[in-house]
Amino acid sequence: MKSLDPRVNRLPKTDSANTAPKVPLDQFGTFEVFVQPKAGKPFQHEGIVHAPNLEMAYVLAKEAFTRRFTCVSIYVAETRNIHISVLTDGDDDAYNHVSEVTPEGEKTSFEIFHLFKRGKQHQHVGAVVATNPNEALWIASQELRTDKQVFNIWTIRTSDIRFTNQDDMDLWLTLPEKKFRDAAAYKGGDKLKTFLEASKN
Amino acid sequence: MYGGGNTFEGIKSDELTGEDPIKLAEFEARIERGEKIEPSDWMPKLYRKQLIRMIEQHAHSEIIGALPEGTWITRAPGFKRKMALMAKVQDEVGHGQLLYSAAETLGKSREEMIDDLINGKSKYSNIFNYPTFTWADCCFISWLVDAGAIVNQLANAKGSYGPYCRALDRICAEESFHLKYGHHCVIYLASGTQTQRDMFQEALNRWWPPMMHFFGPSDKISVHTEILMKWKVKMGTNDDMRNQFLDMYVPKIWELGFTIPDPNLKKNTETGRWEYTEPDWEEFKRVINGDGPCNKERLEVRRIAEERGRWVREALRTPKTAYVTPLA
Repeated sequence: MKSLDPRVNRLPKTDSANTAPKVPLDQFGTFEVFVQPKAGKPFQHEGIVHAPNLEMAYVLAKEAFTRRFTCVSIYVAETRNIHISVLTDGDDDAYNHVSEVTPEGEKTSFEIFHLFKRGKQHQHVGAVVATNPNEALWIASQELRTDKQVFNIWTIRTSDIRFTNQDDMDLWLTLPEKKFRDAAAYKGGDKLKTFLEASKN
Repeated sequence: MYGGGNTFEGIKSDELTGEDPIKLAEFEARIERGEKIEPSDWMPKLYRKQLIRMIEQHAHSEIIGALPEGTWITRAPGFKRKMALMAKVQDEVGHGQLLYSAAETLGKSREEMIDDLINGKSKYSNIFNYPTFTWADCCFISWLVDAGAIVNQLANAKGSYGPYCRALDRICAEESFHLKYGHHCVIYLASGTQTQRDMFQEALNRWWPPMMHFFGPSDKISVHTEILMKWKVKMGTNDDMRNQFLDMYVPKIWELGFTIPDPNLKKNTETGRWEYTEPDWEEFKRVINGDGPCNKERLEVRRIAEERGRWVREALRTPKTAYVTPLA
């Protein structure tokens, strides 16, 4: 392979004749990422990363979702640890499908996320104490439900979430200084005007 | 960044039969109301298939599209340009990640998509099969290929599939810097020395034909296109997108005193549409099928990356986590 790119030319030769299908790797796990854009604003679902563990997922989530826009904190949790309610339609509230559950076992804390509008993203609304996710939903319907309609509810055990600690925040402190990633840093107007005037003469 | 002009597979006559007519009517009514379809909602098989194809092509285009520009990071003129280009290329790869995630919600795993890219089964935007000879080629991509991509992406962001629209909203917000940066680079070349002006003019001459190909061939108005437009998978015809691009950017190119290598290019003041020499669609087909100047290199770079990274993935693999389809 002869390329214009010297780095491509320096790539080591690998066995391109080996056309045997590659052995499928077990894919890494899936983790959901929630971002808090400003202090006081709710955490909002932003998307996923794939990683071999929660700590690595946290590192990748910082890179993928908090590089460009303001961020003060993130939550990361493994997708299979998220308990999902029904997704409703029209004026049907997801809490209409929640019924009372008798507590069983030890109490623990759960974080509750609401989907307020179809097509938008889930937002963190608070935490409840319960013995299991279904009971957490029931308690949330008593404690966290407001007049605002909810289309879907996610419940995550607080202990399953990788929270942000002080040391993680370095990346975000310098975000406002990185002006070279702002459209506003590329004002070519004056240069263009001078050029256009000069080319008229 | 992304090349539009998706090549959709032809529809087979039996693909819509066998769908539950009541569910189909509900699905279409939801789109008609302007609501988004979410991964857990019922959807026709054809909708799922075409969306996977489209989002996957878009994701591959981001990843492959980072290569012709990435090659110029070390040679970009000056520290500021290097910083900006590095940030831009990092964004493009990030966009690839967001789009793979959106496609995954429809049931195709990321590994399958990457495999299909490497073995040539999946396509990516044709324009990235051309080389960046000089810094000016890189500036052409940053400004005008990104501009074309934004025309497409803004349209697609109004589509019907929730996860894709959300990814596109985020992508479009990040792209605004790319476009301004690209224009800034070209203004500096245009107002520089004669050598700099010539360098950009030559790049423009090289890139104009692939830029016209970028939006894809004229759509034949078929039942297929109609269904995809009704389901808000496809948000406008390829010709509409091309026309919108020409409308917005030809005046800006002319303003800088450059010429466009098409003697027939002009806006018809009566119809409001641009007229141009019909692009060479034979070349388009030839390049998309593998015979372009850089097809082999682009895939080889990805394949080598995959192969050299394999031991890392093997080392990190653990049975403690499991791949599951993303939620939203």
